Amino acid sequence: MNTSYCTVVTRIAPGQWHALEDDQVVGRAHASHRPDGRLFLSIDAWHDAVFDRLAEAMLADLPRPLYTVVDEADVDLRLNWLRAGFTTRRREWELLVSTVAGVGSGQPPAGVTILPVGAAEEGPLRILDRVIRDEVEATVGWQEMPAEVLPRLDPSKYAVAARPDRYVGLLRLAALPRQPRIGLVAVRSDQRRRGVARALLAQTLASLHERGIPTVAADVNESNGPAMALFDGLGARRVSSNLELVLR
Amino acid sequence: MARTTDGIQVEGTVVECLRNATFRVELHNGHKVLAHISGKVRKNYIKIMLFDRVLVEISPYDLTRGRIIFRYRT
Repeated sequence: MNTSYCTVVTRIAPGQWHALEDDQVVGRAHASHRPDGRLFLSIDAWHDAVFDRLAEAMLADLPRPLYTVVDEADVDLRLNWLRAGFTTRRREWELLVSTVAGVGSGQPPAGVTILPVGAAEEGPLRILDRVIRDEVEATVGWQEMPAEVLPRLDPSKYAVAARPDRYVGLLRLAALPRQPRIGLVAVRSDQRRRGVARALLAQTLASLHERGIPTVAADVNESNGPAMALFDGLGARRVSSNLELVLR
Repeated sequence: MARTTDGIQVEGTVVECLRNATFRVELHNGHKVLAHISGKVRKNYIKIMLFDRVLVEISPYDLTRGRIIFRYRT
């Protein structure tokens, strides 16, 4: 369908565009900053020509680099973004883990105790959170992590691995009734390779299993080898994948 | 059902999760539509699951297709 001559694209507000045909909105585009400062775009259009018009208008107005997220299974949408010049930057798997996998597995290393979700003390947790944030920023950077890792600290959502003098690992759980999600598993760099993360994950899974919750979901960056190995080791299934695309 | 300059928006329930990132949504009037997730929903990492109550914008070009523009809290 050739609509290019009768479609009018207008920037209606900062970061918002509409495509109109005969006074009817046939496409929308949004640009918004993630907490890490990157600018993410979305375009919803009923046909490709409108998508192209909206992309053309947005890209002319916005500074690079620009990002977007698409479901890898949504081939048409991905092709639209590729046509606009975007390239694939990374893949993030949505994993589903059976909670029974945690029962009887993943004992913590000597001297480490796992405190279940909600049992952590706020003070030591904040110190650990700060250390881990700094370590991530100094290495891979938050841009390589799922967007979910950035919200402010809420101690009621964390399980922690504790040594007598400090916390050494944490797991953030969004205990949503419809589908609990693991938002972050992280261990201090000087405490890795000892089974702390596996113990945290296994004991959290076992606790959910006791409450009758069959599965838990997690988003993991494919290039994060240790995280993928951790979930694979507990039998996680890949159920879908999101691609992060970039235009530099 | 609301018709605005933004198109037709209808509440419904996800009754099937299909391949190609699409969902079958049963509208309150009993009709079923094939719906994608809107870019804004996806950009915000909002997950759509079976039996979720959602707001669907219906395509003005094909009334059997739509996009999920909002997921209600359950």
